[in-house]
Amino acid sequence: MAEGKLCNKKTVDKIEQLNELLSDKSGKQYYEEMNYLDVDDKALWATMQKTLKSRLKTWLEICSHCGLCAESCFYYLANDRDPKQVPSYKIQDTLGQLLKRKGKVDNEFMQYCMDTAFAKCTCCTRCGVYCPFGIDTGIMFSYLRGLLFSQGFTPWEMKIGSGMHRIFRAQMDVTTEDWTETCEWMAEEYEDDWPGLKIPIDVQDADILYTVNAREPKHYPEDLAEAAILFHIAGENWTVPSEGWEETSLAMFAGDWAACKMQVESVYDAMKRLNPKRMVVTECGHAYRATVIEGPYWAGLKTGQTPIPSFHYVEWVAEALRTGKLKIDPAKKIKEPVTYQDSCNYIRNAGLKDVAREIMSYIAEDFREMSPCKEHNFCCGGGGGLNGIGRYRPQRNVGLKVKRDQILQTGAKLVIAPCHNCWDAIRDLEEVYDIGIRWSFLKPLLISMVEVPEHLQPKDE
Amino acid sequence: MFKKLLFATTASPTCDNAAKVAFDLELKWDAKLFVFHVLGMPTRGFSQYITDSRTGETDQIDPDYIEWVKEEMKNTYGELLKDSENSELEAVIGMPHREILRKARKENVDMIIMGAHTREEDVGATRYRSIAGSTMQKVAKAARCPVVIISRPCTTCWKLFSNIVVGVDFSKAADYAFLWAYKLAKEVGAKLHVFHALDVNYGSAGQVKSQVEIENLLAAANEKIKTRHLKKIKNFDNYAVEIWEGIPYVEILKYSRKVNGDLIVMAHHTREIDPEEALLGSTVEQVVLRASCPVASVNHPDKVADVID
Repeated sequence: MAEGKLCNKKTVDKIEQLNELLSDKSGKQYYEEMNYLDVDDKALWATMQKTLKSRLKTWLEICSHCGLCAESCFYYLANDRDPKQVPSYKIQDTLGQLLKRKGKVDNEFMQYCMDTAFAKCTCCTRCGVYCPFGIDTGIMFSYLRGLLFSQGFTPWEMKIGSGMHRIFRAQMDVTTEDWTETCEWMAEEYEDDWPGLKIPIDVQDADILYTVNAREPKHYPEDLAEAAILFHIAGENWTVPSEGWEETSLAMFAGDWAACKMQVESVYDAMKRLNPKRMVVTECGHAYRATVIEGPYWAGLKTGQTPIPSFHYVEWVAEALRTGKLKIDPAKKIKEPVTYQDSCNYIRNAGLKDVAREIMSYIAEDFREMSPCKEHNFCCGGGGGLNGIGRYRPQRNVGLKVKRDQILQTGAKLVIAPCHNCWDAIRDLEEVYDIGIRWSFLKPLLISMVEVPEHLQPKDE
Repeated sequence: MFKKLLFATTASPTCDNAAKVAFDLELKWDAKLFVFHVLGMPTRGFSQYITDSRTGETDQIDPDYIEWVKEEMKNTYGELLKDSENSELEAVIGMPHREILRKARKENVDMIIMGAHTREEDVGATRYRSIAGSTMQKVAKAARCPVVIISRPCTTCWKLFSNIVVGVDFSKAADYAFLWAYKLAKEVGAKLHVFHALDVNYGSAGQVKSQVEIENLLAAANEKIKTRHLKKIKNFDNYAVEIWEGIPYVEILKYSRKVNGDLIVMAHHTREIDPEEALLGSTVEQVVLRASCPVASVNHPDKVADVID
């Protein structure tokens, strides 16, 4: 079996492997090697027989090619209604063929599948909303990614990402020590302005266990400080775990199912170890989907639920505003037109549309919905790991057009995007198309608007 | 007083004057100098892409890229490195202010030295709105050690300083700025000029103060300086006190020019102000951009613990 040094069927479990991959700028050698990677069709078919179950088989079987999914796909719209971008075509021509041919496919076909699964679908699951049979192509592409991963056909960055989770239980090389040190650092940096500010680590029986995206401790620890400030103002009894703090899952994007399980189990272990009342995750969409929606199944939890009730940050914010734990200074509400980006991962996967509107009713005077919105909203254009994959930058940039036009239509110059990936895609679309917008997470906006109780204000002499 | 120094550089000509001071300090104080450059900014979501801090171009990183940037730094500072005895070059990926602060904290440096980059040069500043504002301002506010900003050529070496001006405004941070200036003046044998500017910027208050009122305020400030600062001075009499009324940044610049200040020391404690607004409004920033001598921003007690009673 021809296996590359970097591109192969092995998972990345050692730091040396990871470093080798990272040294290969833009995955040049990796993709070279991919051209010679053999397909183990027996193993592929065996995996399919074990994992391609009745739901997906039925979906592939009953699709009547009616084409109602076409207009639902932002790729189809962004690519001048190219018939090759119709979701049902895309999945029938890849996963459908794999099934028909019983896994007997060649290298070229596998690369075609990879290019389709990553650059023509962000697994946003919007088409599933429009299919009369409820066929969810996004789910099928997620499954296809898993098959591709098992055969070594995954984008370079995805191989790195899944390796990070396997080695660090985080999408980036942030160790337990780095993480706890960053918590201490942020509390120290902000305590002058916020007397008594703490980032409590490993506190037993807290009301809230807060978990994050590894990007935050690695590059933007302000985000962690901002979360702490808002919990502090709201008077929450909260904590972060020293281990099991990372909610995201590039392994999910990659289709590395074993790593998905490892990652969520680290979070569930923290829940069991610290026994908090509930868990709240930072402003990240796929993190919530991975750990709260999909995770319990990966971990084999029969209830389909996380060990303790779990909430997205927007749910906590809406609750804090509703109950008065956070009070917005009316004079500081956002006056300019502002719009809100619904993240697919918690809108279509968890139905968190109403809390978002509730938040906007407290903080904005001129809130403008995108059209369509809520569960009908389009993907930002960078979902499913696409933002990170160099090989598919051109395709992604074309896809961004749909979100660009949606934003322009609102007339708003400020976009609230409580999701790391959406935030990034919207920033990038500004860079590519230059439409003069700003974008923000909720946290910094809330801090600028919230009333700070007298006893929490810094005492000036 | 300076065992470890961090020279945070854009590795561009903006920092040339600061570089000279940094390497000079290393030699004169037998210090360890970290020459530190943040070469690129990462994205928020997942990607291997960075925005190059100097060109603003998007690129993908690998170890070779970082080595290449370090090689460039070696060339840029070739002349200065020739004489350097104890310096170390480092290039990293991240948000500049964050990585500078991280390094300063990790090494527990005694001082950070920076060039005064203007906002136009802060590549990405406008792109990363949630952390808007200049690197300099963010570093100066959060660093536990003094941050010295050098925008013009500095002709006097630190050991030969003869006039150190410290601006005080009776805030806690200014107490630390005073103590550090005092400590430095004592150490190098310079004269310490304690200066307070009485802010008579009527614009916002909408009223004009009478001369009697101003004089009363001046007298009160004089008293405050005595009780708050001068009391702390021990075995040192080479100091002067001056209080002027006007717009703070203008007055401190005028005063420094009058006494031939070699260094201006100030606190930098804007709070609860939109960073974009604060940038224009901050006295320190105005002083930095206009002063002909280095400006040190001191806001925390960490490096003056030994002179706090």
